[in-house]
Amino acid sequence: MQYLERLQTFFEIAGSMVADPMSLAILFGSVLLGIIFGAMPGLTSTLGVALLTALTYSMDTPMAMICLLAIYVGGTYGGSYSSILINIPGTAAAAATAMDGYPLAKKGEGGRAIGLTTTASAIGTAISMLFVVSISPLISKFALEFTSFEFFLLAFFGILISGTLTAPDLVIKGWIAGFLGLFLACIGRDQLQFFPRFTFGITELESGIEVVPVLIGAFGIPQIIDVLRARSKMPKAEKLQRIIPEIGTVLRNIPAIVRSALIGVGIGAVPGIGEDIAGWVSYGTAKNTSKHPETFGTGELKGVIASETANNACVGGAMIPLLNLGIPGSPPAAMLLGALMLHGVTPGPMITFEHPNFILEVAAILLLASMAMWITGMILAKQVVKVLNIPTPLFMPIIGVLCIIGSYSLGLNIFNLYLMLPVGIICYFLTNMGYPIAPLVIGVILGPMADENLRRALMVSQGSFMPVFQRPAALILFIIIVWTVISQFGWYKRLLEKIKKRLFNNT
Amino acid sequence: MIEIDKLRKADVFSGTIIFLLGIFVVYQAFQMPMQDSYAGVQNVWYVSPALFPLFVGSMLALLGLLLMKTAISAVGKEGIKSVINYLLSSDFFDFLKLPVTIRFYGIVINLLIFVFLLVPRIDFFLGAILFLLIFFFMFYCGSEEGLPSLIYQILAGAFVLLLLGGTGLTEKLDAFLLFSADYLVILYIGALIFQYFKICKSNAQLMSKFKLSLLIGFLAPLTIGIIFKYFLLVPMPHEGLIVSLLDAIWYAEIWS
Repeated sequence: MQYLERLQTFFEIAGSMVADPMSLAILFGSVLLGIIFGAMPGLTSTLGVALLTALTYSMDTPMAMICLLAIYVGGTYGGSYSSILINIPGTAAAAATAMDGYPLAKKGEGGRAIGLTTTASAIGTAISMLFVVSISPLISKFALEFTSFEFFLLAFFGILISGTLTAPDLVIKGWIAGFLGLFLACIGRDQLQFFPRFTFGITELESGIEVVPVLIGAFGIPQIIDVLRARSKMPKAEKLQRIIPEIGTVLRNIPAIVRSALIGVGIGAVPGIGEDIAGWVSYGTAKNTSKHPETFGTGELKGVIASETANNACVGGAMIPLLNLGIPGSPPAAMLLGALMLHGVTPGPMITFEHPNFILEVAAILLLASMAMWITGMILAKQVVKVLNIPTPLFMPIIGVLCIIGSYSLGLNIFNLYLMLPVGIICYFLTNMGYPIAPLVIGVILGPMADENLRRALMVSQGSFMPVFQRPAALILFIIIVWTVISQFGWYKRLLEKIKKRLFNNT
Repeated sequence: MIEIDKLRKADVFSGTIIFLLGIFVVYQAFQMPMQDSYAGVQNVWYVSPALFPLFVGSMLALLGLLLMKTAISAVGKEGIKSVINYLLSSDFFDFLKLPVTIRFYGIVINLLIFVFLLVPRIDFFLGAILFLLIFFFMFYCGSEEGLPSLIYQILAGAFVLLLLGGTGLTEKLDAFLLFSADYLVILYIGALIFQYFKICKSNAQLMSKFKLSLLIGFLAPLTIGIIFKYFLLVPMPHEGLIVSLLDAIWYAEIWS
């Protein structure tokens, strides 16, 4: 009965959005903008969400959510255009798509490939929406049992796992990036005693660093420097034929689509790990389970389906921990969290009480965004790919102006800019030295939560750490954290080998 | 990302910096109230504001050390010696003069000047136009060879602006001519456009790039600025000559 009621509310919300021309216009406009952002190499969906956060600041929350989620969905899908047509992924999320998408375009089947990615992405988003609706109440209920210890451990786990899985070089660097983020979060007056920490007498730092400008700096500035510095010319795009929705191919591959969507949702739900990893894992799984793995990389439709379904399913997956635990599942979700906080919505287990229909609203927007994306993709793909001809030295500086005015407009504070630019330049060096940025950002966002909950937990337990071992959820989290850390060391791997050998010899 | 062998050498240094940062965070944390009273509250260690920074700082120091250890064992003592020799050799100075490094200076200097100098003092529209035109002249219609002189030129312009602002001359000039700094920037933009017009006019392809640069350089800030100022009602960081002109048009009585 309760489920029927939720279903009814869901359709009511979706219906009211469709009936409102303004919402529809914003939905389609943002999806189109997202696709353009995704398609242009150098611009990412994270940056799109970041810049739109500034533009949607004055909108009411539901409208702002339509805008931000639509650009997120569109941006994740749009990356496939440049992957397929010029073999340069528009976003990291579409990197796996290039493996088979570009050979398809080379064969003169670019239109077919884009049609397929459009349908696969729409289905991926829609499936992930089902998970947002069905799993959220369960996680939310479970999370209500959490006390401060669990929240501290959860935040800490989020930073560690994000550092472990996103580090392009050494895992230690991922963890360092996470702790650098936590350090940035320490700046300002602490939330419990209002003692100024690391403010060095600068009054603007007393309220802590503003999250959104730091995120804009961390994601935008390195991108601008990298693209302009490389001075690379974009290769000529392959010819694009008529876009075909490829519904027949999709129907024949339903099991593969469901599997890819599940991988996408699962990876999206892990804190801080985004669409790029989902795309690669799904592509790898499709290749490994295929009867003809040798066809992958030569224009295999299944490869395109696998990566594109998974990266879009990741969007919904990333929403699950974001909405129910307040922990972003991917970098764009981190931006969304920043935007939600600006709008006075604090995601977490209490969200179902404070904003009873919020999760359903998000699910409805995801469903509508996937439909809008499909329609826009089918009708406008041929026009949108023309943006690939715009020279990067012309649009990157404009993105620079947007980053700067966007950071300033959130709080009308020039100091935000003084913070944003140095953070961006430092992040540029960090990226070049193999430090991932996602854990840093997750650290900045989850820092206050980790700090407050650690001290609150210790206050309740009078300084004792015993509750970690007495509470099952805390103990499980603690064990996972310890395992995540020690599994990275050489001696642990050698120990495992030894145990295996001994067991093998004994039998 | 740089190549793996160079990366390990760089890791020795980045690990050291992270380690030192960790030590600094721990040191600062020890200056915070631990057991004594703050704001009339008797502290205990587990409520202290120092607790979390202590944890973060010691983890940073530990991870920095681990990174240093990993990097040193990968490159060996010889590797570190070769880095130090490289830093002291002429090869390093040659690297600092590579075109790709000069491009990096150009980007960072333009960003720094825009954020720290133009945004707080000059009308936003003018600042943004100058920022965009410099980037376009650097990377779109300008040549690689012309880049160093353009960088010197913008540094000189920034110095003049800093001098005027620092000595309080702008306020004195404003008494004679309101928005005097904005007029100076307009002059500077004019001179820059004229200079690049002369460079581009002999080549038809360059000329069309130049025209496109001008078009976008003026239109983009106007569009972005008008959206933020008049539709999103965000006051500009510094409102000068162009904003007052636009205000006069936007709020003119003929519209009402």
